[in-house]
Amino acid sequence: MTEPISSVKPPLLDVHDLKVEFDTYGGTVQAVRGVSFAVEAGKTLAIVGESGCGKSVTVQALMGLVPMPPGRLTSGTAELRGRNILGTSKIDGQDFRGSEIGMIFQDPMTSLNPTMTIGRQIAESLEVHRGWSRKKAMARAVELLEMARIPEAAQRAKQYPFEFSGGMLQRAMIAMAIACEPAILIADEPTTALDVTIQAQVLDLLGDLQRDHGTAIILITHDLGVVARMADEVAVMYAGQIVERGSVDDIFYRPAHPYTVGLRAAMPSNNPNAEHRLLPIDGSPPDLFSPPAGCAYAARCPHAMRICNSHEPAPFTVGPGHFGKCWLHHEKVPNGAQTILSAVEGTPAGDLVAAASQSAEEHS
Amino acid sequence: MWNYALKRLIQGLITVWFIATATFLAMHAVPGDPLSGAKAMTPEIQQNLEKKYGLDKPIGQQYLIYMKNLAQGDLGISFTQKNREVNDIIREHFPVSATLGIMAVVFAALGGSLFGALTALYRNKWPDNVIMLAVILGISVPSFVFAAFSQLAIVKLNGLLGVSLLPVAGWGTISHMLLPSLVLGLGTMAYLTRLMRSSMLEILSSDYIRTANAKGLPATRIFARHEMPNAILPVVTVLGPAIAAITTGGFVVELVFAIPGLGRYFVQAVQQLDYTVIMGTTVFFGAFLVLMVIVVDLLYGFIDPRVRVS
Repeated sequence: MTEPISSVKPPLLDVHDLKVEFDTYGGTVQAVRGVSFAVEAGKTLAIVGESGCGKSVTVQALMGLVPMPPGRLTSGTAELRGRNILGTSKIDGQDFRGSEIGMIFQDPMTSLNPTMTIGRQIAESLEVHRGWSRKKAMARAVELLEMARIPEAAQRAKQYPFEFSGGMLQRAMIAMAIACEPAILIADEPTTALDVTIQAQVLDLLGDLQRDHGTAIILITHDLGVVARMADEVAVMYAGQIVERGSVDDIFYRPAHPYTVGLRAAMPSNNPNAEHRLLPIDGSPPDLFSPPAGCAYAARCPHAMRICNSHEPAPFTVGPGHFGKCWLHHEKVPNGAQTILSAVEGTPAGDLVAAASQSAEEHS
Repeated sequence: MWNYALKRLIQGLITVWFIATATFLAMHAVPGDPLSGAKAMTPEIQQNLEKKYGLDKPIGQQYLIYMKNLAQGDLGISFTQKNREVNDIIREHFPVSATLGIMAVVFAALGGSLFGALTALYRNKWPDNVIMLAVILGISVPSFVFAAFSQLAIVKLNGLLGVSLLPVAGWGTISHMLLPSLVLGLGTMAYLTRLMRSSMLEILSSDYIRTANAKGLPATRIFARHEMPNAILPVVTVLGPAIAAITTGGFVVELVFAIPGLGRYFVQAVQQLDYTVIMGTTVFFGAFLVLMVIVVDLLYGFIDPRVRVS
């Protein structure tokens, strides 16, 4: 990443060159191949990409949730307020998980202990991290459930997960994750398992909590509608690497990587006037048992050049805090990347953003 | 909850009635009767005896009489033991079998869930390999072999120490009970270990254990509050039938350790076609097992909230 010139104080969480591998019978899978990103306090970083691109593994590695073996951290640091958390679960003898970084998962139906009441599962964090008594923690758990807009929280706290609906479970999960007021909340596809009307409620809740508590959010998703609605910063991942990173406006209006452009073109639009065809990205992601020597996207890229197959592109800075890992940004490329990347689109970028936020609005 | 318990009890009674009927029919289908023993008898004596015991009546009538007595709790008098009521036999000897059986079940359940959890936590490491080897032994070696070997071992040990650490056989004190109940529970323990292992392995890779880790809970707390209560559910489910298997299967162990349990009478009665004792012990065991299964099912509701409500 670039040197921290823009900000004087270091970011809240600074991840540098994270690499994760998995040993399988078929060989070693390089799931995450050198990922670096920073999270600022109070901001939302969205990590987007298709299934299997390594977004979940990245955050699970941060949280020490990657089972080892078969998983393996081969390189990287992750500094939370200047202290390394990678490969450890404790800072100063205290577990940072739950206290400094909270996490919510994709499937709320299976992510809660079926034999423990919702209230107990929330209170547990407070008992462990703050040493609170059972009673005090339970009272706080009820408050947290209220904060997560669970009606009749006091009764609900005594119920078990099977008595909750999916959307309520996800809100209870959020209450659990923010119990100790963590500085960072990691949301790993928090709305994927929920139907669209509930998605909007959960996203609203996350947004409100962020506003009230100044929590930084790392949002993992493959839904660009969610990104348009929630994110400040976006990291686009492909084949275990971040191929583009920039502000949400950069990603939607000034994409710097053909994959980002492809993702956007593959997004459905609900604008009946737009002459927009859903354009799938041809081909499939590369085999991460033996990643290609050059750019991982080259085989599917409509603009691939000879160099793309042999040399991995460097991150080209295309604007403040905006980079794309693509050879099109090299000075020797005729016409320049922006012209090439915007020329392929059927619709102007503005329409897509409008469509994205519109579809997000309609969910609510 | 109470409605459910009542419903289960009524179902249980019907089950016991089925057991009684089936045993009655099976018993009478076997050639011979309690009076056709080795002793030479004139036809007159035999007829008189049959009349005395009601064996000359048609089988349907015998069945009705038996059921009437059974409903009143009267299991009749033994054919082969002089003036001994079946009720007395059960009253005297069942507590011994039950104590032995319950201790064996406790051993099996505690050991099974503990060893099973250990093997899952240390999967493919040496504790797993050692325990799973022992489990295969426990499942495949019959209990009388263990009984004999354990007696031999105790004799050697007592000899080596010069004091009597544990009695080799007999019944009476707690020290008499330890070895036989351990031997009796061994097979079930091995079975429960395997069950617990697979159940625990499933739990360990479940989403909510990942959640518990993401909350930063200490490993001990995750084990005690999140892994164990969920992993133990399948073990509790089979505990009812396991109690059944152990209390009825205790005959061999009772014999080897010279324990005055009910199992001996059960087997003897079958050999001698002692109608009333067969019926009495079978119906009693049957009722006991049905009751145990119900108790375990009700207990299950306390552990698993999902069962409690429905």
